Amino acid sequence: MPVKLFDGNSAAVESIRLARPGVIAAYPITPQSGIAEHLADEVADGRIRAEYVRVESEHTAMSVAVGAQLTGVRVATATASVGLALMHEVCGVAAGCRVPIVMPVVNRSLVAPWSLWCDHSDTMAERDTGWLQFYCATVQEVLDLTLSAYRIAEHEDVLTPAMVCLDGFFLSHSMQRVDTPPDEDAWDFVKPYVRRNMYLDPKDVMFINALCPTFEHTEMKYQQMVGFGNAARVAKDVFAEFEQRFGRKLHTVESYRLEDAEVAVVTIGSMSGAAKYVVNQLRDRGIRAGMLRICMFRPFPADEIREALKNVKVIGVVDRSSGLGAAQGPVCSEVKAACYGGTTKIFSFIGGIAGRDISDISFRRIFGELLEVKDGKRDSCTCWFDTREDAMDIREVEVPC
Amino acid sequence: MQKIKFYGVGGQGAVTAAKVLSIAVCLYQDEYAVTVPVYSHERRGSPVYAHIIVDDQPVLLNCYVYEPDIIVVFDDNLLDMGVDVAEGCTEDTVLVLNTARPEMVDKYRRAGGFRRICVCDATGAAVKNIGLNIPNSAMLGALARTGVVSIDAVCSALRDSFGKVGEKNVDAARDAYEDTIDA
Repeated sequence: MPVKLFDGNSAAVESIRLARPGVIAAYPITPQSGIAEHLADEVADGRIRAEYVRVESEHTAMSVAVGAQLTGVRVATATASVGLALMHEVCGVAAGCRVPIVMPVVNRSLVAPWSLWCDHSDTMAERDTGWLQFYCATVQEVLDLTLSAYRIAEHEDVLTPAMVCLDGFFLSHSMQRVDTPPDEDAWDFVKPYVRRNMYLDPKDVMFINALCPTFEHTEMKYQQMVGFGNAARVAKDVFAEFEQRFGRKLHTVESYRLEDAEVAVVTIGSMSGAAKYVVNQLRDRGIRAGMLRICMFRPFPADEIREALKNVKVIGVVDRSSGLGAAQGPVCSEVKAACYGGTTKIFSFIGGIAGRDISDISFRRIFGELLEVKDGKRDSCTCWFDTREDAMDIREVEVPC
Repeated sequence: MQKIKFYGVGGQGAVTAAKVLSIAVCLYQDEYAVTVPVYSHERRGSPVYAHIIVDDQPVLLNCYVYEPDIIVVFDDNLLDMGVDVAEGCTEDTVLVLNTARPEMVDKYRRAGGFRRICVCDATGAAVKNIGLNIPNSAMLGALARTGVVSIDAVCSALRDSFGKVGEKNVDAARDAYEDTIDA
């Protein structure tokens, strides 16, 4: 399989090219711009035979995507941050109309304070919109999960759109080696788009997404819920087929050295490599440390997580968004719910906000606290890690107001 | 594993150089590299950084470099601009320095205690071969002196990256490689 060098944005474009969309509607936004721009290049140069609709906003980008895919063609779009927030309304339309759009989302903080940099506040705000969500740890996974997402989302038992989330800059602008399947092999895996149980024809004008009466609405949501349930099974099947074809393992959740672990972190996204690195360092010192990475966040693989973590004594769940007003970060809330009733101690860690690096140094500190809990030396942890001591003193207004 | 940090000034192509280094290592040296560039409030003339981790095994770390084995300084004004290029360095950290001013070598050695400094007038090599004050390709030639990447791999990656002006960039890198001295 040819080795190519891609940054995360280029890997997303390559996987979209391999899936042969017929319509593209994307609005550029940092750090996703490379996707919108390179898709335009691919169309201009004839490598993607699609109509590229230049839209004036993300709200329109998703509207075009929904309408176009209803006519029976695979569509492509991508966004980030406030672009995703502007898309929010129409994301619900795609999900409720069961239009299985696959969309890379380059994770970037939501305002305010204004930021261009990575955290998960944008996609976490969409976690209940009715989309599947996959979070990539490497640039290779951007390619692999996007290709797989078409198969999962478009499966007749699922028919649910999918976000493939990649960390802004840490993946979108990170050059890494990527094994890339030949075009025909990828096409043989992704397969042509087949429209199921939906219809739209410009020559036969009709109204979609009309008012749904209360006596059917609950049942329509029930159907979506069943689709999510099926997605968990279909994802496993698709990942197994992917591994058979291409030799690379994909995960709903990835266990790393958890078998006999006493302490572990739960991670999501590009921070996970640094966590593995520190787990290896701790293991070299005889410390039984492990890691669980959540790769598929929607549907949330609660049973797998409970099973993987059942024998770990102390766990830290690392969220890359603040979860303001909640009892803990959003990933931690779900992990705690999944493990409810067990004896494991679970602590929320929040950091990596708006581009702050989560490094091996961060994980050494986190594991240090978890180990102290295990040894009975402390009973709480520093939830907001790598936060400046002077947090409450910065940007204080000195003029009378 | 070798951890490398690039220090440049906006417009010098330091981030591009980091990506070219990734190509050289991954495609022409059959090793692994992860590049994490730092994008900030970009404007020409402000400091820019890029972090690269190179290994003969797949690289797990996908974060910044805090304790570099090699630092590459694209502009000798960076110290005077208040950039602490010695941050996280030890005397074993190798400094690759672009300068045409011999006195800067001592200045940088005082700042970081570097035992080994690879000195090169990369800007001169760039102006001579490319006709532009963009030292990034030449600095990769100088970096090849440290052994972390071969000069042939650098040249192949430059040809891949720069299309029509690839050969001029290769000439700049080779000139810089030949002219780099250990100080």
